[in-house]
Amino acid sequence: MNFNEFITIFVDIYLILILLYAIFIMSSYLILSCLSIIELRGYLKKNSFVNYQILLSSEYAPALSLIAPAYNEGMTIEENVKSLLSLSYNNYQVIVVNDGSKDNSMELLISTYDLVQADIDYEPKIATKNVKAIYQSRNAAFKKLLVVDKENGGKADALNVGINIAQNPYVVCIDVDCILDRDSLLKLAKPFMESNNKRVIATGGVVRIANQCVIKDGRLIEVNVPDKLLPRIQVLEYLRAFLLGRMAWERLDGLLLISGAFGAFDKEIAILAGGYNTKTVGEDMELVVRMRKYMHEHDLPYTVSFIPDPLCWTEAPESFSIFKKQRSRWMRGTIETLWTHRKMFFNPKFKLLGLVSVPYWTFFEFMAPFIEFVGLVITIYFITMGMVNWDSFAILLLFVYFYSIMFSVLALLTEELTYHKYVKIKDYVKLLEGAFVEPFHFHLMSVYAAMVGYYEKIKGTHGWGEMTRKGFSKK
Amino acid sequence: MEELWQYYYNKDWVKPFLLYSIYFFVFVSIALFSSIIVIRRLKIRNQRLEDRFTPIIEHILSQNLFESAFFSEFSVYEKLFRNTVFRKLMMESIINLHQNYDGTYAENLENFYIDSGLINDSYKKLNSEEWQIKCKGIKELAEMNVVEAFEALVKMSKSSNKTLTIVAINACIKLNGSNGIRHLSRHKHSFDLWTQLNILDALKQGNLAQIQGLEYLLTSQNNSVVSLGLKAISSLNLSEKTQYVQKLIDETTSDDILIEAKDVLNRLLTQNNQHYKYELQ
Repeated sequence: MNFNEFITIFVDIYLILILLYAIFIMSSYLILSCLSIIELRGYLKKNSFVNYQILLSSEYAPALSLIAPAYNEGMTIEENVKSLLSLSYNNYQVIVVNDGSKDNSMELLISTYDLVQADIDYEPKIATKNVKAIYQSRNAAFKKLLVVDKENGGKADALNVGINIAQNPYVVCIDVDCILDRDSLLKLAKPFMESNNKRVIATGGVVRIANQCVIKDGRLIEVNVPDKLLPRIQVLEYLRAFLLGRMAWERLDGLLLISGAFGAFDKEIAILAGGYNTKTVGEDMELVVRMRKYMHEHDLPYTVSFIPDPLCWTEAPESFSIFKKQRSRWMRGTIETLWTHRKMFFNPKFKLLGLVSVPYWTFFEFMAPFIEFVGLVITIYFITMGMVNWDSFAILLLFVYFYSIMFSVLALLTEELTYHKYVKIKDYVKLLEGAFVEPFHFHLMSVYAAMVGYYEKIKGTHGWGEMTRKGFSKK
Repeated sequence: MEELWQYYYNKDWVKPFLLYSIYFFVFVSIALFSSIIVIRRLKIRNQRLEDRFTPIIEHILSQNLFESAFFSEFSVYEKLFRNTVFRKLMMESIINLHQNYDGTYAENLENFYIDSGLINDSYKKLNSEEWQIKCKGIKELAEMNVVEAFEALVKMSKSSNKTLTIVAINACIKLNGSNGIRHLSRHKHSFDLWTQLNILDALKQGNLAQIQGLEYLLTSQNNSVVSLGLKAISSLNLSEKTQYVQKLIDETTSDDILIEAKDVLNRLLTQNNQHYKYELQ
């Protein structure tokens, strides 16, 4: 076999493998979206007969501890804490963990909420950085509030402090700068009461993009689609991920990720599993995987629940540099979680989790950007060597492009049929424009950011990087 | 087989496969987007119909409510009563109004509901294949106090569909007070905490004077029903049921029920003592 023959065979095999990979990933998205839509329809039908208000007056409603880690949030912390204190739920406490902020967050909290040092012993069940002081308010109106001042140790460490201090059996971990729906805790608590045979160890909710939405008194009052292309396409991306992806994983009971922005956990199991891992930047996914692993290893029947209602709104990066930091961190988090739990990969002991969920994440979340990048490099090489059949190249490109558009339009239709949050026609047109541009714009940025994530992981980069936010428009 | 392999090996399939897939994706994208437009148009059309029908419905119902006008007096609108959207809106309005009125006003609405044939719409819903439509029918019949539907609702409360069970049990309670849940002592399915809280809430919403026979729930072989009974006795402060709770403590073999029963008994006794102290003062 001469060199040319070898190259030809290599290219043939490579092309077929790539095509099969593409078909497999595309089909899996379609199958998951069908499952998601079925699950969503069922949920909405049931939900139309649910009266969440009964939880408000019931002494049997699960008691929740809301944990909000804060680092340099001085600009918005007063208002954000106020909105957390005014959620519709009776049986809950709010624990704000100041993770060694360098700004005036702590002073602001002390003066706004009339805080004094509380006589509470800190007996950590999960090891954490040093807790300097725990504060309570003298004002009875803020009796639900507990503020912890601690040495800086990162988000996971702050959440672990919150878990250690929480007095209630369920902890709700949130990002302090997120906008929560007033009924979010009612909806999040319900799954914990619904299981007879399986213990619900965690519940997650849908996160939506709040850029350019109007906020008043810490509540979302007007939903808009951002004008800027980058956050606009992220609206589409979140719709696809949450409406067409996570519901299917919930149905299959193979959900690996509950967003760090908004999720509730069974405190006992979270502590038994060891709490948040402070060594990873993907602590949200890692905790869910570890809790599930713990339940499997101890042969305890369990489930992880997911609520498709848009309960939490967050600000998406608007600049490429911040977007790159966020996505590279997500990739590092994915790599770290999959590596830490590599024992589960194709391990039948972990049932669907080991045989489907973990391999799926490995092949399609972790490896996909790498395979795309290699494909891009090889394509450029073929072009420079004059080895490209332009007809086939164009057809292949259109194949992927139109699939991407179809999938985005499916997400838009699902949104229209379910929550219908984007009421203005122009918002739909903007999102459709985004769908047409996405494969040449956002997608390439995502692949690049993921590659940066691989590089940073190899280099040994830790930490989150500075994540500056613009803030919401207020009325 | 050989031919198939050759076809695969020659890669003749690749181009047609990709081309047909592209046509398919484009077609589906257009169809999906057209669906969005159609759905929006339908919503607008329904809204327009709603805007047209609402003043008429308000007029009819206010006449019925405050001037005791009978259905037969609205023969001008006979044609409208055959319109599905109109009947749907009428049903929603009458149910909403009924929730806010009682006495003669409520009776007027109930008579109108029967005379106009809306009651038949609700009964038809009970026979639907879809559980969510059954739920709607149950809610309507219960709200309009159609006691004759009670037996049918008891049957539905035994459904394996949790939502249907909750809606049917709540309807039974609305129609027949706590007697409406006596049959639960023979219930086979286990009630989760959410279902129990829904039933408890329905009991609280009902007429407390009518609450009798909750002790039957404590005799059930189904622990979740016993737990429901305990929660109901505790939440409604039924101190006269203390003896039944005590009997349960003596007889139960379940540790969970024993703990819950002891807790309820303590609560009842504490409340009794406080009440007694208050009376002495």
